Amino acid sequence: MAVSELLGKAELLKQGAEARVYRTQFLGKPTIVKERFPKRYRHPVLDEKLTQRRTVQEVRSILRCRRAGICAPVVYFVDYTSHCIFLEEILSSSTVRDHITSAQQSGSCEEAELQRLAERIGQILAQMHDEDVIHGDLTTSNMLLRSSPEGGESNLVLIDFGLSYISALPEDKGVDLYVLEKAFLSTHPNTEPLFEKLLNSYTVSSKKSSAVIKKLDEVRLRGRKRSMVG
Amino acid sequence: MHLTQEIELFPDHRVSQMLFRDVRNAAELKQNAVEGKINGALINPTMLVSPFQVLVAASKALHLQKIGKMKTRTLYSEIIFNLSPTNNISEAFRRFGISDADDSVMVVVVHNKDEPQFVTEITSRVDGRQIPVEDVSSLSDSAKIKKLYKVTPQEEKCGSLLDAVVCRMATKDVM
Repeated sequence: MAVSELLGKAELLKQGAEARVYRTQFLGKPTIVKERFPKRYRHPVLDEKLTQRRTVQEVRSILRCRRAGICAPVVYFVDYTSHCIFLEEILSSSTVRDHITSAQQSGSCEEAELQRLAERIGQILAQMHDEDVIHGDLTTSNMLLRSSPEGGESNLVLIDFGLSYISALPEDKGVDLYVLEKAFLSTHPNTEPLFEKLLNSYTVSSKKSSAVIKKLDEVRLRGRKRSMVG
Repeated sequence: MHLTQEIELFPDHRVSQMLFRDVRNAAELKQNAVEGKINGALINPTMLVSPFQVLVAASKALHLQKIGKMKTRTLYSEIIFNLSPTNNISEAFRRFGISDADDSVMVVVVHNKDEPQFVTEITSRVDGRQIPVEDVSSLSDSAKIKKLYKVTPQEEKCGSLLDAVVCRMATKDVM
């Protein structure tokens, strides 16, 4: 199979539970290939259906985000037989996670910059949710900062839409934000004010934010290790 | 002048593109293509942003041919179909294939690496002036492309027109 031969020569970047991520050249462009490999612990019919569905949802969400002006990697090619997605490799970039971590380490002179970053993240998530796209795996490792060639403000790029889907429900959007909150606060200690800034920016930028924030408060009360008393 | 490129998925194949302007026999070429006498795809270059766009369409067409899942009947019609952002085959031919009144054409040939004769064969049949393939952007009609591919103004913040076009080509089967 042509794709598997190509992957055999490509550089394996990461292996997760869901997929393997490779780096290679495709039609002259630096490309990331995301391969959803077969899961033998699943029933084969179910595995095929689920893998197919996840691949399709990922690709749909990326296009939907791009149409709304949210930066996501360009899809070059999808092989539905091996469930491989060939995506643009985002060069000259670092994850928001690494950015926040190093900014925190270099002291408080970066404070204003981090505040600005939180504001931008809130805005971009508001835009995404207004398009009814639920990312499903919001973490600071799934957001990239790509330096702009003209030297202006860097681009915020969202990646890894593997668990994404389309939904208008405030509940789903609230859960999306809750996932980010948990990931954010556990990865970056003592950043509660920063995350609050993010949420405020979200509230201001989104047209449907009040219902979503209300749900977020409800979800927070649900979570793990929470009392479910009326 | 012409551009021959390798495609990673099928290293034994090559994709050659040739661009012509001031073409006087578009009607004849179109007729020949319809009758299956031309071993190549004849594309309307005003709908093309870059040779990369053609390469993406050709790579996908070859892949689908190998697995027996092409939507059209031949490799060359599949390349033209893959350029379109919609799944309507006749619309794709109308918009991306050449018309009788066209005065420019992009010819695409898929061949093995040791078969350059296909390229010269086609070139002799076009009554027009060959120009470098890289100049295709000078023939592009950006407004028409943006309209057909439904590219939103905000989308142009995240990337080029080429990015928007290629993304739609790659994802149209599931949109």
